[in-house]
Amino acid sequence: MSRSPSPRPGGWSSPGLNTPYDTGGRASPYSNGGTHNVTWASAQARSAEVKGYTAFNPRNQGFFSRHFRRISTSLPFSAEKEKMGRGRYQGSKVVQLLQRIGRSLYRLRKPLTVLFLVIFSIVMFYVTPLHRVYRRSSMFGGGNKFVIILAANQGGGVMEWKGPREWAIERDSVKNKKKYVKNWGYDLEIVDMSTKKRYAHEWRESWEKVDTIRNAMRKYPHAEWFWWMDTNTFIMEPSYSLQSRIFNKLNKITYRDINHYNPLNISHPPADGYLDPETLSAVGDGKISSINLIVPQDCGGFNLGSFFVRRSVWTDRLLDIWWDPVGYEQKHMEWEHKEQDALEYMYTNQPWIRPHVAFIQQRSINSFPPGACGEKGDNPKIHYQEKDRDFVVNMAGCEWGRDCWAEMYNYRQLSNRLNRNPWEKFKDGISDSIKKMRESKKDDKKKGNH
Amino acid sequence: MHFAMPPRKTSRPPPYAARQSKSIGIPPALRNLLRDRLRLVLAVIAAIFTLFWLLGRSSDGGSAVRLKAHAGSGAPVVIVTVIDPTADRTWTEKIKKNREDYAKRHGYSTFFPQNDDYPLKGAPNSWAKVPALRHAMTLNPTSQWFWYLDTTALIVNPSIALQSHALNPSKLEKLMIVNEPVVPPDSVIKTFGNLKGDRIDVIVTQDKDGLCQSSFVLRQGEWAKYFLDAWFDPIYRSYNFQKAEAHALEHIVQWHGTILAKLAMIPQNAINSYVAGPANAKNGKYTEGDMVATFFGCDKEKRNCIDEMQPYFDNLEA
Repeated sequence: MSRSPSPRPGGWSSPGLNTPYDTGGRASPYSNGGTHNVTWASAQARSAEVKGYTAFNPRNQGFFSRHFRRISTSLPFSAEKEKMGRGRYQGSKVVQLLQRIGRSLYRLRKPLTVLFLVIFSIVMFYVTPLHRVYRRSSMFGGGNKFVIILAANQGGGVMEWKGPREWAIERDSVKNKKKYVKNWGYDLEIVDMSTKKRYAHEWRESWEKVDTIRNAMRKYPHAEWFWWMDTNTFIMEPSYSLQSRIFNKLNKITYRDINHYNPLNISHPPADGYLDPETLSAVGDGKISSINLIVPQDCGGFNLGSFFVRRSVWTDRLLDIWWDPVGYEQKHMEWEHKEQDALEYMYTNQPWIRPHVAFIQQRSINSFPPGACGEKGDNPKIHYQEKDRDFVVNMAGCEWGRDCWAEMYNYRQLSNRLNRNPWEKFKDGISDSIKKMRESKKDDKKKGNH
Repeated sequence: MHFAMPPRKTSRPPPYAARQSKSIGIPPALRNLLRDRLRLVLAVIAAIFTLFWLLGRSSDGGSAVRLKAHAGSGAPVVIVTVIDPTADRTWTEKIKKNREDYAKRHGYSTFFPQNDDYPLKGAPNSWAKVPALRHAMTLNPTSQWFWYLDTTALIVNPSIALQSHALNPSKLEKLMIVNEPVVPPDSVIKTFGNLKGDRIDVIVTQDKDGLCQSSFVLRQGEWAKYFLDAWFDPIYRSYNFQKAEAHALEHIVQWHGTILAKLAMIPQNAINSYVAGPANAKNGKYTEGDMVATFFGCDKEKRNCIDEMQPYFDNLEA
């Protein structure tokens, strides 16, 4: 409706009340009869036309129109209006409180946005699976370059039945790796190592490592490093990533010259004068890029319970030559540890292997519990040290007269305890102190009784 | 409420401003970035870092390329013949001269180690060819091909250059015998059918009994080290293979795919025609014009190599 003054001369137009100057114009539908004939009803109708609503229409019928003002004053965006001191609505105390909260929130909107973004990104990157996506991607985390090959069912199959303890060990071990892999965006390949008769004319018991690694390489064409782990291993520190612990500092934590630690007394470098300088060198070409196999050494030599192998042509050749029927025929009685002994043999006798093998301190990826390599477990090069928070424990040889399940259980508990979050530590601290108080009370009582 | 009317726009819009000639290459968005000196300095630093990063990344590959280019610059082919110091001196000298003449003619080089130069640990002396080849590669790191030629073989047609005759990838692809049992007559392992000529690392021939030891060609590289070291494994040397290194070779070729995948078998008369001995029935017999004549087993038992070879020596000298 326009409240502008009428463009026509003659003052305000009040239709039907003054002289009929507009007789040729539109006839109002409400004007019954002539313009002189003004009835109450027609005047009312006209006024309704001017006002836009009928006089009988009750106003403020809906909830929203009835409460809109109250709602809008309690919303934070009305604060500007409030400052002007106009339209202040004196509501109940609760509403006032809400108003005040809203106002202060509005004033703090910038820091609040930042806080919100931080919380949001923590949720996105650490709680939801998104962080796995970016840790996997080759651009950010590079997790898809690593595959853990977990040997399950070792020695099972036709050789022996699995008891409940073996099942439990396997379940724990698998769970442990699954969690680790999920956290860092790696891949996990669980392989069934149960003994099978694969070839018609000979047995390859526990030589399947080679075939298994090859299959994994075929299955994960984008992966570069493959981490072999036996069933009896346990990742004690799931918060360590392979990149930060191992592969970003390969030149620091690996050694190429076996004389550094040489339990097998392999003479190194090779002494045959006809070999090329790179092979004769104690460290190969010394570059990280030429490392294709990373093996830890325990007290008795190479240990293939936990080792890394990299996809390369060299690795193809190694995996191909590793199992050979002539070697097998001559040595299978002597080589108790199958491919581990075969690898030691090849490392000793085939010079082309040496420039591509690096050794790693055993405790970096393969700490032993007491009982393996010495009863006491006090060798600082070999045995697990709690205070150093070693990465992985390998309960090597626990099936020979030790209790695999007990060891696995203990290390699992230890790992859980070491990796509690602050809240859990707090709770445990309280319960521990209560326990202590109770015990001391009991002791006091006992002392009193006696 | 009344507002003043906005001023009228001109009905004749000005033509688009011509681009200033001094800022040709830089788009407006970037020009904005480079507005003040601090930003310019930062941009230059970032550019330098990017450059270093790119160069640093490619340095590894760059050195590899350089090494490869370097490898082809020596004599293209090295002829390796292991000499038995107990054999007739005049004969071995003639054999050496035969290789040297051929090498001089085509710009190749030669290497004549003795079979007692290498520690064989009780294995037959014929094994010496394996470390001898490794040794030749060490001494000639820039050569590409190493032709092992036994003392019982003679280059009788020196006008043929080995490279164009058999080593060229295209020529090699034509010569290659694919899908042929490695050990005649009916080994289940057959030579691969889809090999490329430039991916071959060892070129062998086959006589009636198996892979020949008297003449084969090996390409220098990581694969050759692997092949020779695997072949020379003490396990094979002590295994008492009936024909020593010959059977060991057949063994590794048949059991290990990474070796078979680099092996090309070519007709026997290409580099190893037999004058006497169990020649390949299809293409093993020596005929006039073949490059190499092999007197199989002439150094064994009661035979005499120098007598058997004499007519050919005469031919060459004439």
